[in-house]
Amino acid sequence: MRKLIPALTAILLLGTRLSAQDWTVPDDRKGRLSTFAFDDETRKTGQKLYTANCKSCHGIPGEDNWLRLVPPPGDPASEKFQKNSDGEMFYKVVTGRGQMPSFRTVLSANEIWALISYLRSYNQGYVQQVMQLITSSAYPDAEIRIALAWNSADSTVDISATAVSEKSSVAVTDAEMQLMVQRRFGHLAVDEPRNTDSRGFVRFRMPAGLPGDTAGNVLVMARFTDEETFGSAGKDTILRAGMPSFNESLVAPRAMWNTARKAPVWIILTYLGGVLIAWGFIMLVLLKLRDIFIIGENSTLNNK
Amino acid sequence: MNSGSRAKLNTKNNIIPDLMAGTIFKSERYRQKVESVSADILRNVSLNRGFLLWMGFLTAVLLACLYAYTIQLREGLGVTGLRDITSWGVYIANFVFFVATSLVGMLISCVLGLSGAKWVKPIARIAEIIAVAFAAVAGLVIISDMGRPDRLPYVFLFGRFQSPILWDVTVVTTYFFVSLLLWFLPMIPDLAIAKDRLPGRPAFLVRAYEILSVKWVDHEKQFEILHKAMRILLILIIPLAFAIHTVTSWLFAVTPRPGWDSTIFGPYFISGAFVSGTAAVVIAMYFFRVSYKLEKYITDFHFDRIGRVLILVSVLYFYFNLNEFLVPGYKLKTSDAIHLRELFAGHHAFLFWGVQLLGLVIPAILLLFRKIRKPLPMLVISVVVLAAAWLKRYIIVVPPQAHPYLPAQNYPVEWIVYKPTLIEIAVSVAAIVLVLMIITILSKLFPVLPIQEIAEEEALAKNESV
Ligand code: HEC
Repeated sequence: MRKLIPALTAILLLGTRLSAQDWTVPDDRKGRLSTFAFDDETRKTGQKLYTANCKSCHGIPGEDNWLRLVPPPGDPASEKFQKNSDGEMFYKVVTGRGQMPSFRTVLSANEIWALISYLRSYNQGYVQQVMQLITSSAYPDAEIRIALAWNSADSTVDISATAVSEKSSVAVTDAEMQLMVQRRFGHLAVDEPRNTDSRGFVRFRMPAGLPGDTAGNVLVMARFTDEETFGSAGKDTILRAGMPSFNESLVAPRAMWNTARKAPVWIILTYLGGVLIAWGFIMLVLLKLRDIFIIGENSTLNNK
Repeated sequence: MNSGSRAKLNTKNNIIPDLMAGTIFKSERYRQKVESVSADILRNVSLNRGFLLWMGFLTAVLLACLYAYTIQLREGLGVTGLRDITSWGVYIANFVFFVATSLVGMLISCVLGLSGAKWVKPIARIAEIIAVAFAAVAGLVIISDMGRPDRLPYVFLFGRFQSPILWDVTVVTTYFFVSLLLWFLPMIPDLAIAKDRLPGRPAFLVRAYEILSVKWVDHEKQFEILHKAMRILLILIIPLAFAIHTVTSWLFAVTPRPGWDSTIFGPYFISGAFVSGTAAVVIAMYFFRVSYKLEKYITDFHFDRIGRVLILVSVLYFYFNLNEFLVPGYKLKTSDAIHLRELFAGHHAFLFWGVQLLGLVIPAILLLFRKIRKPLPMLVISVVVLAAAWLKRYIIVVPPQAHPYLPAQNYPVEWIVYKPTLIEIAVSVAAIVLVLMIITILSKLFPVLPIQEIAEEEALAKNESV
């Protein structure tokens, strides 16, 4: 799967070769910073994400063994790569360009920051600047709480958003929200983005027949689209909003293209049967040689 | 020994010692014949200077080539021309060629033998020697293609029943053993005859004859058992031989690669095998006839007959070539077209047409003329056919790999366009040298023609014409 991504992009974009022109990032994005400090924990998370999502093109950092694409992905440990500010890197990973895929719906903001924290470990001179937690500018000092409820009767998800502070608790009104469902690769946007009403409520319709796990569970994520205003507040919940699906693993049944233990019975029998029959006959012939020997020995003895 | 009297001979199977002959073995005439025939044939069984010089030469070449192999062993397959894109080169071409050529043992001994084609009697053992030598080395050739030969046991330890590689290793081994038995069993009466007739030969050889002749005393019961054992082997070898080369073809045909993705690869390989094997037998026949002075036994008649066999198998192979190339060439599916264009008019066109014409079409046409089916012209033709057969395996193995489905973007040229290195060629030559060594040992230390059967036939022929 991971190998397929670069291969497919390579095929799709073959010919649409971008010249290696500079990749400029809008000014207001350049200065963006991570909201958490990078530490060994985040670097470890980042390394895992890098291996799964980036290594197929960018190679092992420091080894210069990136895929020979045009324009080149480049080695993350290289000076050119590290010259990017945190905000520029973030932007490039989110938006992508040419054969560099966009990871907008694949990785969450925190995951991308974790990735960047890993990539920065190849930069000796790097000193991290951390940004304050983005809190909502519309509801200062308040914590925004989001609650999700699943109505199986009409296949809808009700979301309520409230800004809770020490003093008060008010509904978050007229804020655009987006609902997403986690899929195997990336997230699926569900329904259109909608605004909360005067009570802080918004309702999304789930598509019929959305495949879930064996119980029909899916991971549902609610986010504000306007991150600047509402901060990174969001809510991930598992809802029984999908269809139960029982996908038997492709490697579960006995098959030709499976491991030795999963070989089709008929082929095991044919192989072993063939070997047994052939070598059985060879043994038989060897026994006959023995008979010839015994007859010869007896008749020489008799003649003496 | 004219062919007329031969044709009148009994119709019983010819490779199997003839049971019906019965009393013939006790007759004085048979005994005389045994003396004269064994004198002619055993004359060549000796470790004379020629043999030692030739083996010394082969050993020297082998050592030089093995030195090349030690480099490969130390440095890895990087010293060969094999890379990611073209990962099978002359080693695998060599392997396919060896397996193919070894198939002739089955063709001559069984298909022709069981059908009662009397004339194969003197050359059946030669065919079996070729089968044994090529099958034995085919397995080794595979090992030379392995980057980690120490992992060979893994094929059996972790092999998948579904994998043609496992089938191939199994079948090649089995075929080798059965071919060895097919060479050895009919020779037992000869060993018994020879063991008292080898004065001046090294003691170990005489001792070996004594042991290997398993107390053969021409007892009627012994003939009966030998007859049965041979019958088992002759039948067993047919499915085995088909299996060995069909499985070899499946190593290619079970992939979706243009040029290999073919449903007729099995019979295409088998018919091709008959061609190269028959050519190899002709060369060996010529060599033994001249250098062993066996003109009396390997006659023009035999060359005429094997020439006809070569025509037959060439026509068969041509038919499969027609199917293999014309049908995809007619449709020219995108990926096939890239490959076929390279063969028909591109990079490999010279090799492709050279091999098809010089190695298949022209020989078959020439052999239609009786005058050509004489020893010397047959030798020349067979050498060309055999060389072409090797190159044909190269065409089958290498060009299809240069066009993978996934684009090979920004690779260095030498990763895509394969060129064998000197080391690779040396290791391949080692395999050919090994084949020659085995053939030399088997044909120099043991009677190369069936003494007992020829004597019996000659005695019977006299009987009838009296
Ligand atoms: C399909 C191959 C591919 C994958 C997968 C991939 N990239 Fe890239 N990446 C590229 C290419 C190609 C470029 C150069 C794009 C250009 O310059 O137009 C690039 C450029 C970049 C840049 C900008 C480098 C610079 O010098 O400015 C960053 C940062 C980056 N990638 C990060 C990532 C991260 C992080 C991941 C994993 C989440 C990733 N990439 C996955 C192909 C890939």
